[in-house]
Order: sequence, then C-alpha cells, then structure tokens
Amino acid sequence: MTSTEPVVQDRTKVLDTDIESVLNPGEAEGFYRDSRECAVLALEAGAGKLLLSPPTPRPKKG
Amino acid sequence: MEQPDTSTRLTGAVRDLASHVVSALTSGDHAGVSALTAGTPADDDLGLAAVRVLGADVLLPSVLLRRPPAPQELAVFEKAVIAFPPAPDASVTSRWTHWAMVRTLRDLGTSAITPSPDDAEPDAAWLDEVPWQVLTHQLALLAALAVPRADHAAGATADHAAGNTADRTAGNAPSSVADSAVARAAERRTVDVARGFVRAVRRRGWLQAAGAGRWLAALDDVPETLGLDAGLEFVAHMGGDDPRVALHLHAARLLRTGAPA
Repeated sequence: MTSTEPVVQDRTKVLDTDIESVLNPGEAEGFYRDSRECAVLALEAGAGKLLLSPPTPRPKKG
Repeated sequence: MEQPDTSTRLTGAVRDLASHVVSALTSGDHAGVSALTAGTPADDDLGLAAVRVLGADVLLPSVLLRRPPAPQELAVFEKAVIAFPPAPDASVTSRWTHWAMVRTLRDLGTSAITPSPDDAEPDAAWLDEVPWQVLTHQLALLAALAVPRADHAAGATADHAAGNTADRTAGNAPSSVADSAVARAAERRTVDVARGFVRAVRRRGWLQAAGAGRWLAALDDVPETLGLDAGLEFVAHMGGDDPRVALHLHAARLLRTGAPA
C-alpha cells in the first residue's frame, strides 16, 4: 500500500443478533478428563478431597 | 483469507476486555480498564458491544474494591447500556445482563441514566423449575449478578468468608449477595448449583465451572464436601488461560476471602 491510498477504517457493525449469540450460547459439548488430568487434580486438591470419582460413562454408540 | 464473522470477533473483543478487567482486579487500580476505554470502545461498535456482553463485570473492580469508576470507564459503560438495550424478543440472559448493568450504575450512584419502567427486574421464576444442569448453565451465563450487596462489598466479604451470616433470614434474599430474583433462585438451589459445578468440571466446561463457582462463592450453605476452594484452584489450573474464566475466579476469590487473589 502506498501512502497515497485511502485508509479503509475497519469498523464492525454489530447487530443485536451478534450480541445475543455471544451472550446466550448453548451449552458446549462436554469433554471428559483423562487419567493424567485426574492425577493433576489429585495433586491440586490434596489428599483426595475433591472430585476424584471416575467420569460418568458415556452412552455407547449403536 | 476469510475474515472471522462478527460473533467470533466479538468474542475475541470480550476476552480482551475481560483480560483488562482481571488486570484491574489484580492491580487494584484503574489502569487495566482505563487502558481499554481510552482506545476504541467509545467509538467502535465492536468494543462497545464487548462492554455490553461483559456487562456489569466491566465495573467489577469498582464494585468489589469499593472505589468510584474512572469517568471514562463510566461513560463507555453508560454508552453500552444505552446503545444495546434488550430487543423485544431478547433472551432472558440479555434482559438480565442489561438489568445488572443498570443496577450497577444505580448502586455506584454515579450515573446520569434515569431508570425507566423497562428496567424492572425480569422474570426468574422459571429457574425454580428447570433441571439442575440447565440451572447451572443459565447461572453461569448470569454470573455477573453474583456480586456482594452494594452495602456489603469489600470488607464485608471477609465476614461472609468467616461465616458471619447471622443476619440472614431463611428463604429471603441472601445476606451477602446483591439481591435479585436470580440470586434468590440460586440460594434456593445451592446444592443443585454445587452439583452443576462438579458436572462442569468433569465436562471440562471451564467457563461454566468458573461461573457456577463464583455463584457458590457468593452463597451460603454450600456443602463442605464439595471442596469449593480446591475446585476453584483446579479450574484456574485447567482453564485460567481464558480471561473470562480468570475474571470469574478472581471474583469468586474476592467474594470468599475479601481480598484480591
């Protein structure tokens, strides 16, 4: 771009629907912890005080 | 290269704004948010919309640390309230977040905005009927309502942390949470919120977990077996890179301890 070219302002027009979609998203798909993260949790929580039960079984496909 | 859509750009702007709020909460001064408001938001739809989405939390440092907002912060906040009222067919989230912004201005006592009949509290009775999973999802979206009462912020949160709830009347408004129909619904279903917090952690829904954890930090009668403090630490460890998560966690810690994290 040369200095003589006009500078185009990068303005974004935000609609109510854009705000609505960010304010009110659906619940995201869940991703369950793997065993490595469970181990981190055990260290973080200390002495097995918290949330150390195994993940809820996922529904079987088919 | 294809440009991200407006919602994606707006989400990015909200994250940036949340990051500035966290910085202000951490540093205890206006530098974080003021740095942002000195730039584009006042004149840029995207920035102003980001203020509308982050909502009352934009002024959270003023609310929690009990200090008046900087004039420029306040001006941008008011502009967002006026520019983006809930549409007639808006979601309850949109209605409640807008209501929370107006309440924040009213409680800070520094706004030129005059409350109108449209600013009446939206309905929340339906929160009593929804499954606990839906309750938690919805409360997490409305976590900006989980703030101390206007006459109960700062040092009073330490009383809450110490279990000083003698003035609480069972079944009425929570003693330390700013009153709203949403807060009353949360208090009636504290165990369900705790259950939802655990579910969110196990689903790796860090933003929802942080929002639910913030509510729990503001509520009385949270089951001790939940291990809320350790749970909040874990959410910070796993999801704290998202400034929106970090913001809720800072608010939760301030609510529980009365001191910045």
